[in-house]
Amino acid sequence: MQSMQEMDLYRHTDTVNELLARYGVKFGIYKNNVFKEQLFPFDAIPRVIEAEEFAYLEKGLKQRVTALNLFIKDIYSEKKIIRDKIVPEEFIYASSGYLAQCEGVMPPKGVYAHIAGIDLVQGKDKEWYILEDNLRVPSGASYPMIARELCRRSSPLTFQQTHIEDNRNYAELLRRTMDHVNTGGHTVILTPGRYNSAYFEHSYLAEKTGAHLVTGSELLVENDHLYFKDYSGRKEPVGAVYRRISDEYLDPMNFYEGSLIGIPHLYDIFRKGNVALLNAPGNGVADDKGIYYFVPKMIKYYLGEEPILHNAPTYLPLYKEDMDYVLEHFDDLVLKDVAEAGGYGVQFGNKMTKQEKEDFIALLKREPRRFIAQEVIDFLDIDIFENGECVPRKADLRAFVLMADEPLVWKSGLTRFSRNPDSFIVNSSQGGGFKDTWVLSR
Amino acid sequence: MKDLLFEYDMHLDFEPPVEEHRFTLKCIPQTDERQLINRLDVEVYPKEFLSTDKDSFGNYSIYGYTKGKHDRFFARVRGQARTGLAEYLPAKEEHQIGLFKYQTDYTRPGPAILEFAKQFEGAAEKYEEACRAAVVSKEITPDNTEPARALMTPALEFAVTMMHTLYENFSYVKGVTDVHTTAEEAMALGKGVCQDYAHILLSLCRIHRIPCRYVVGMLIGEGLSHAWVEVCDGSHWYAIDPTNNLIVDDQHIKISSGRDYHDCIVSQGVFVGRTKQTQTVAVRVKEVMAQ
Repeated sequence: MQSMQEMDLYRHTDTVNELLARYGVKFGIYKNNVFKEQLFPFDAIPRVIEAEEFAYLEKGLKQRVTALNLFIKDIYSEKKIIRDKIVPEEFIYASSGYLAQCEGVMPPKGVYAHIAGIDLVQGKDKEWYILEDNLRVPSGASYPMIARELCRRSSPLTFQQTHIEDNRNYAELLRRTMDHVNTGGHTVILTPGRYNSAYFEHSYLAEKTGAHLVTGSELLVENDHLYFKDYSGRKEPVGAVYRRISDEYLDPMNFYEGSLIGIPHLYDIFRKGNVALLNAPGNGVADDKGIYYFVPKMIKYYLGEEPILHNAPTYLPLYKEDMDYVLEHFDDLVLKDVAEAGGYGVQFGNKMTKQEKEDFIALLKREPRRFIAQEVIDFLDIDIFENGECVPRKADLRAFVLMADEPLVWKSGLTRFSRNPDSFIVNSSQGGGFKDTWVLSR
Repeated sequence: MKDLLFEYDMHLDFEPPVEEHRFTLKCIPQTDERQLINRLDVEVYPKEFLSTDKDSFGNYSIYGYTKGKHDRFFARVRGQARTGLAEYLPAKEEHQIGLFKYQTDYTRPGPAILEFAKQFEGAAEKYEEACRAAVVSKEITPDNTEPARALMTPALEFAVTMMHTLYENFSYVKGVTDVHTTAEEAMALGKGVCQDYAHILLSLCRIHRIPCRYVVGMLIGEGLSHAWVEVCDGSHWYAIDPTNNLIVDDQHIKISSGRDYHDCIVSQGVFVGRTKQTQTVAVRVKEVMAQ
């Protein structure tokens, strides 16, 4: 890429951010019970991935998500992987993501994780490592989509002269995924409403895929089928629901009884195969931070293949030898609470005071199942443009893998970076920013 | 073996009336290896739509809706059952046994249960030793077609030991606990009803990873629905009733089972209306005398 084009693109950073704000590209956060909307700061310097390198990632991601789907299917049916002692049963049954209501339920076409958000980082050794798998309701695809759109408008020359895979096809991939499992009827995107942190994304994806954006009160179950009720009271059948509300709130008759945003009996008709839910309920059993440890083993078990992409080196304090290792190398490790998400519950051994360390080790010994420990990966820094100069920051990549009639990897992704130069935590809920991800087409 | 006539009546009164009422009911007994349901009559009123299904634990559920305004909703189940046909239920869904070994929100032990459980340490050792012995014998005789059978005696024996002690130390008192009471809360209180007896026994068994489940059903006589426990030895489920301190024979009719009360809720509903809801349940089970 020519530096003149680079400059042309960076010059527009402020314009693009203003446009993003105008389009309502925001992130809502609840802090101390107060809802606050934050802008999601965009940095114009893209993460660039070479065609060949992305082809390798694509292969590895397809393999991983295929194995994760087989795992969820196995867990809610025959549980061969437990019987063959690859995964200890308590990692399943004691996990908050395991839902007994899903036992024996087969989703349309046998797909559980239709939309997966796989978080990766690149180490200084240029090696990619998987950080976590998000298989419940991963968000973030809309941000690089709209950022690309705005950048193309403000700096068309850059995109004429650089060979970049067009990432605006995400909507087509998503549509294909939803149509593949649709049981007959409309496709809807179910949102909890505008106070949800990802509401912008819900409305944007609905617009781009041509699906109806609905809330729970517009859907109802009748005669064992799902219907969408429009303003005139007319009812139209629904065959696929891309739901952006979590399992617990989906159906008060089958999950959390107090849910006011769910649809009563939705899960009963799902069990009968009369509607598709994307993603299927119960997926949380596979994206638990404790289960992460077992994903490479799953790939070997279900596919008989060596894993293409590697996990960050991980230890389970539940196993004695791992506990010994963790206690010995405490300062070199990052400790994660398996029940937390969004960058909460992550602690670095070397950042704790003596007292904190003692308290933590006592807790670790009391509840070894609750934590995993990982080697701190020395991320490859990526430049961001700040106050007129380029400064290095930590960044990760959320890749999106869709499971349609075959696994599809979106040739882009959400690159999140930490604005704090000393932080490794890039989550948007922790105030990070984002970049576009360019996959070169040759 | 007995032939039992059963009547299960549940009604909900709403003051003022409600509408857009959606309900799920799990109040219908099914035929299995232990009981034969040879006559069954189910009436739900009012209703506009009714559908049936089996939940993830194989329990028979009926669900549907009533849109119009109503101040009363009832379910009436009548039938006849032949009970006590076998001593145990085969654990057909073998892959599902493991999930019953783990505590749930209702059964998770706290200080009171852990303190109470201390007295079973000796019995627990004996149980674990017996399990190990059974595993060894299974390895020596690979052609043994029913290896887990050997585990039966220890699991059931241990559960029964704990049941006896619980019965001696816990008092049956109505109205001090409710459907939200956990095993730990009931244990601390020292009294409660069948639901509490069952949850505490489940908690005690699960401390030792004995697969066990909560059972809802009907007991001979007149009253409310009843709750008891089934424990598994790896291939069979045995029913024990901690409220009455006995191994279930032919006086119980099973309706449903799950990990705890929550999996077996008999009547669940959502509706539109700010109302006061009262639930009334009446169960009558009596033996049919030979003519």
